[in-house]
Amino acid sequence: MAETSGESLARDESNIEQNKDSQTTRNGLLIAQIVSRTEQAETRTEQAETRTEQAKTRTEQAETRLEQAETRTELAETRTEQAETRTERAETRTEQAEARMERSEEAIRESELNYRRLFEAARDGILILDADTGRVTDVNPFLVNLLGYPENEIVGKTVGELSPFKDLVSNQTMWERLQRDGYARYENQPLETRDGRAIVVEFVSNVYRAGEKKAIQCNIRDLTERRRSEARLNASFREIGVLKSALDEHLDSIRLAAIVESSQDAIIGKDLEGVVTSWNKSAEKIFGYTAAEMKGTSLMRLIPSEFRGEEVQILAKVKRGEKIEHYDTVRLTKDGRRIDISVTLSPIKDIAGNVVGVSKIARDITELKAAEKLRELNIGLEQSVAERTEQLQAVNQELEAFSYSVSHDLRAPLRHLVGFVAMLHQDAGPTLSEKSLRYLETISQSARRMGKLIDDLLAFSRTGRAGVKKSEVNLDLLIPEIVADLSGDISGRKINWIIHPLPVLWADRALLRQVLINLISNSVKFTGGRTEATIEIGPIPGGDNENVTFIRDNGAGFDPRYAGKLFGVFQRLHSETEFEGTGIGLANVERIIKRHGGRVWAEGAVDVGATFFFSIPKHEGAIINGG
Amino acid sequence: MNIKNILLIEDDLRDVEMTLAALEEQNLANRVFVVHDGAAALDYLYKRGAFKARTTGNPILVLLDNKMPKVSGLEVLKIMKEDERLKTIPVVALTSSREAPDLIQFYSHGVNAYVVKPVDFSDFMKAVREVGIFWAAVNEPPLAACEVEPGIQDGEAIIAGKKEV
Repeated sequence: MAETSGESLARDESNIEQNKDSQTTRNGLLIAQIVSRTEQAETRTEQAETRTEQAKTRTEQAETRLEQAETRTELAETRTEQAETRTERAETRTEQAEARMERSEEAIRESELNYRRLFEAARDGILILDADTGRVTDVNPFLVNLLGYPENEIVGKTVGELSPFKDLVSNQTMWERLQRDGYARYENQPLETRDGRAIVVEFVSNVYRAGEKKAIQCNIRDLTERRRSEARLNASFREIGVLKSALDEHLDSIRLAAIVESSQDAIIGKDLEGVVTSWNKSAEKIFGYTAAEMKGTSLMRLIPSEFRGEEVQILAKVKRGEKIEHYDTVRLTKDGRRIDISVTLSPIKDIAGNVVGVSKIARDITELKAAEKLRELNIGLEQSVAERTEQLQAVNQELEAFSYSVSHDLRAPLRHLVGFVAMLHQDAGPTLSEKSLRYLETISQSARRMGKLIDDLLAFSRTGRAGVKKSEVNLDLLIPEIVADLSGDISGRKINWIIHPLPVLWADRALLRQVLINLISNSVKFTGGRTEATIEIGPIPGGDNENVTFIRDNGAGFDPRYAGKLFGVFQRLHSETEFEGTGIGLANVERIIKRHGGRVWAEGAVDVGATFFFSIPKHEGAIINGG
Repeated sequence: MNIKNILLIEDDLRDVEMTLAALEEQNLANRVFVVHDGAAALDYLYKRGAFKARTTGNPILVLLDNKMPKVSGLEVLKIMKEDERLKTIPVVALTSSREAPDLIQFYSHGVNAYVVKPVDFSDFMKAVREVGIFWAAVNEPPLAACEVEPGIQDGEAIIAGKKEV
């Protein structure tokens, strides 16, 4: 259309060119016409352009719609395919369902067959009843066989009409229960079969639904044989029970016999004449007679003559039925010993209660009695020890008071005696004769000697009373100390000291010192006459429990015949003029050593010398208390 | 200043004589005042009874026997050592006993020395002489504290108590 208007426009313009000269007059008009047509042409051109654009737009819209239509077509095709697939699947499932249904029907047919087989082969009787009429619709061969009635005499009848079941506990009751609970069970129902056999059955009925109809199945189990077995079993049990109690009884008696045999007590049975009927092992042991020796003989030989009267009296009591418990008496054994026994006697009675014998249980209490006596003796001893101890303490106190008085009161006069003699000597010495002076000297000496005696006696008394406080005492240190202390007594003398290594003793140091001072100073004193004195101190080897120490000298010695007198108080083997001394020193030595639990002794010979030995127990097992 | 006295408390006249004989040798005897029992000793020390008029000062030394009538040496010692005014006077026990319980009692009540009278005369003389020399010449007692006013009652009260027992 645009091309068409363009061609006409071009033609108009060439027309204008050709007619310009001639038609100048009409030019104005023409120009105006041309302008008008030009404007119209322009308007049409614009309209054409507008339509062209509209046409374009419509074309585009048509194209878009076309595309959409194509898309929808594709979608529709896809859905169609899917629908086809689903249809195929549904067809497959339908086929499968049909196959399964066939199988299921097959199974039902099979199940029915199986049931029928079970029904036919069952070892229980089965009745199937119509639940509405109560009539038998079916009976299995087992029940037919059990009851002995042909099938046709059973089918079509009610249970009550069947002669074997006519006694079944209340057919009516069973029917009601079945209606109510759908279940009924009767145990131990007696039945009679056609041939007159009495049997026992269990009768179980169930209501069940077979399709639209209700039916009742009755199971009838023959319990006759089982009941019979049970009865036989019960009889056996009863029999076993009887046997067992008999066995128990027997075992009891065996056990009892074993107890009797193993008892520590003598258990003796005897008849009323005193003749032994049983005699256990302990009886053999206690009395010395064997069972063979005693059975059938009288017991009297066991009873000392002075106890026979008592035995007769006691037996009389037992014969009256009394029991005698634990009376102590005396019996003779086979080897003639008298033993203390404790006896219990019981009557042996027969079923009627008559006393037919005596059982006797006897226990040997000889040792018990001895122990009792010992205990009594011990108590007595303890009492007397306590009394003695008290007395001893009293005596000790008195002795202490006495010693104190002696110490003070006896010494004072002596001191005065000595003192005033000395003052007399000072005062009148020059005027006195030799004789008088000697008298004065003798008085003084005697008084001094008495003073020494008193001191020694007091010391002796103190060692008896003082406690012994033990500790380790090293003799290697103690002896040189003592020798040094004695140096005043040995000045001007030649003494050859031989001192061996010595042990450590477990002793009271102060008391042991007294012992050693006494013994060593004795040696010093009794070697006084020797130009060459030898004093040797050493240990004696051996002795697991004690240490022995010796002090040997080559002094005046002593006559061994009197060795026993050496350690007595105031006992002296030398005269005062030969050797000074109070006769208390060695008594004190012995007392101290004894209080240590040790011993002291001496060996010697006149003019050869003396050796004194003393022992002190070692620490372990030492006797701590004093004597 | 007062004479330095020694008070000898001794019931046995023979011991007194021997003791004086020993002190004589040191020229101490004339300074010794002797009483014969504990009661008299306390009268002397407390200036009462027979000694009310005592003008001399307290002794510089007391020599004390133990076993005596009325009041024993130990009792005299106890009273002296419990009295502030007498406790400084040196007391020497001069007795016959060397028993351990006596020694312990005397020392535990504050005795200044304990001498056992020896039986032997020369030993006795020596012991007493040495006691005299040491305590009367060598030792220095606190004299100023030794004076006691007359009429003090406490000592007497204790003695009266003892007598009743």
